[in-house]
Amino acid sequence: MKRTSKYIFSICFVLSSFLMQAQAKKTDSIPVKTNRYGLRVGVDLFKLSRSFYEKDYKGLEVVGDYRISKKYYLAGELGNENKTVNDTQLSFTTQGTYFKVGFDYNVYDNWLDMENMVYLGMRYGVSSFSQRLNSYEIYNAHPYFADVPTVISGDKFSGLSAQWIEVALGVNAKVFNNFYVGFSFRLNNLITNKKPENFDNLYIPGFNRTYNGNFGVGFNYTVSYFLPIYKKKVVVIAPKKEVKKKK
Amino acid sequence: MRKIFLLVLVLALSFSSCEKDDICDANTPTTPRLIIDFYDITNPSVTKNVTNLGIVGEGLTTGILFNAVHKIQVPLRLTDDSTKYSFVLNAGNANTSLIYTDVLQFNYSRKTVFVSRACGYKTLFDLNNDASLPNPYIINNTPTASQGIWIKNITVEKYNLETENETHIKIYF
Repeated sequence: MKRTSKYIFSICFVLSSFLMQAQAKKTDSIPVKTNRYGLRVGVDLFKLSRSFYEKDYKGLEVVGDYRISKKYYLAGELGNENKTVNDTQLSFTTQGTYFKVGFDYNVYDNWLDMENMVYLGMRYGVSSFSQRLNSYEIYNAHPYFADVPTVISGDKFSGLSAQWIEVALGVNAKVFNNFYVGFSFRLNNLITNKKPENFDNLYIPGFNRTYNGNFGVGFNYTVSYFLPIYKKKVVVIAPKKEVKKKK
Repeated sequence: MRKIFLLVLVLALSFSSCEKDDICDANTPTTPRLIIDFYDITNPSVTKNVTNLGIVGEGLTTGILFNAVHKIQVPLRLTDDSTKYSFVLNAGNANTSLIYTDVLQFNYSRKTVFVSRACGYKTLFDLNNDASLPNPYIINNTPTASQGIWIKNITVEKYNLETENETHIKIYF
């Protein structure tokens, strides 16, 4: 135990010395460092590609963020999904539109002119959708009369909605010029869920599959393009202070 | 910063408590069977066990046998609003003069109720409870009869069948 803590300490020490060195260098060689601010818009390739290889899925998500300070980004997603689920007992199609707004907080310290992100984010999601029950089976634990009917339904439930909170953990890296590639994992928690009568929202566009409770998970893989709007000079002493503050 | 990490961790941990929901759990109340409780006609407050009571659905050859129990579970048809059974007491007895058969028909309406992703839907039954509808039970095809050969009296305890933890019909013999 003692040994490991010593080990960790020494690693931290070495790393911090690197940091100091880097910063020292910066002050020497590059007198002015600028941060670029602007709008980044992209598309979720995960949903897009699934639309091609998954027969029962059509989806599109546009993502965007706007840098409001050194670490904070205003972020959001807008999407549309059409998903058919064929379970053993049920078959249904969910169709709807959603949007999510929130922020991303970049925890990654970029060196020099790097513009990468490792971020934690929060979103508030709203989805408006409809469901169509294609067919269902009546669960009969004792089928004495051998009647386990599959009922072709076609019932449509419209005007459904849901709202939820998302916690996102993601990466966004500049690959070349103003192009970025990133992915994020999301944990969702439903706040409101307007369910249809005699059915349930088993899939919510933007939220994905629902479970027994309020939880859900999400994932996206994005390619985006950055539109620079203005630049801000970085005061060299300022980041040093922040590094100290964090510790 | 640390708070957000903690939040993520708590959220992640909360997933471990989620139950698997792709398989319909046997404890979930789904389509109920008709629960009949047997009572002694000479002492109506006391339950009476049946001996080799075989019930055979109309049009079927194999039946369900109950022995030394006073409560039986009768599956109802999900595709029809009535189910007819032959209730054979002392079924399979070597002495055929001891075998008594009464035919019981149950009349009901059905409704389909959503259960869950894994279970789909269930059917709930409402035994007829309206003078304009056929009787909830008809014994030996005689709508006016309230007793048969070995069945001395029938009462409906609960018209709406929701679970199997309740008695729907009492038969006195």
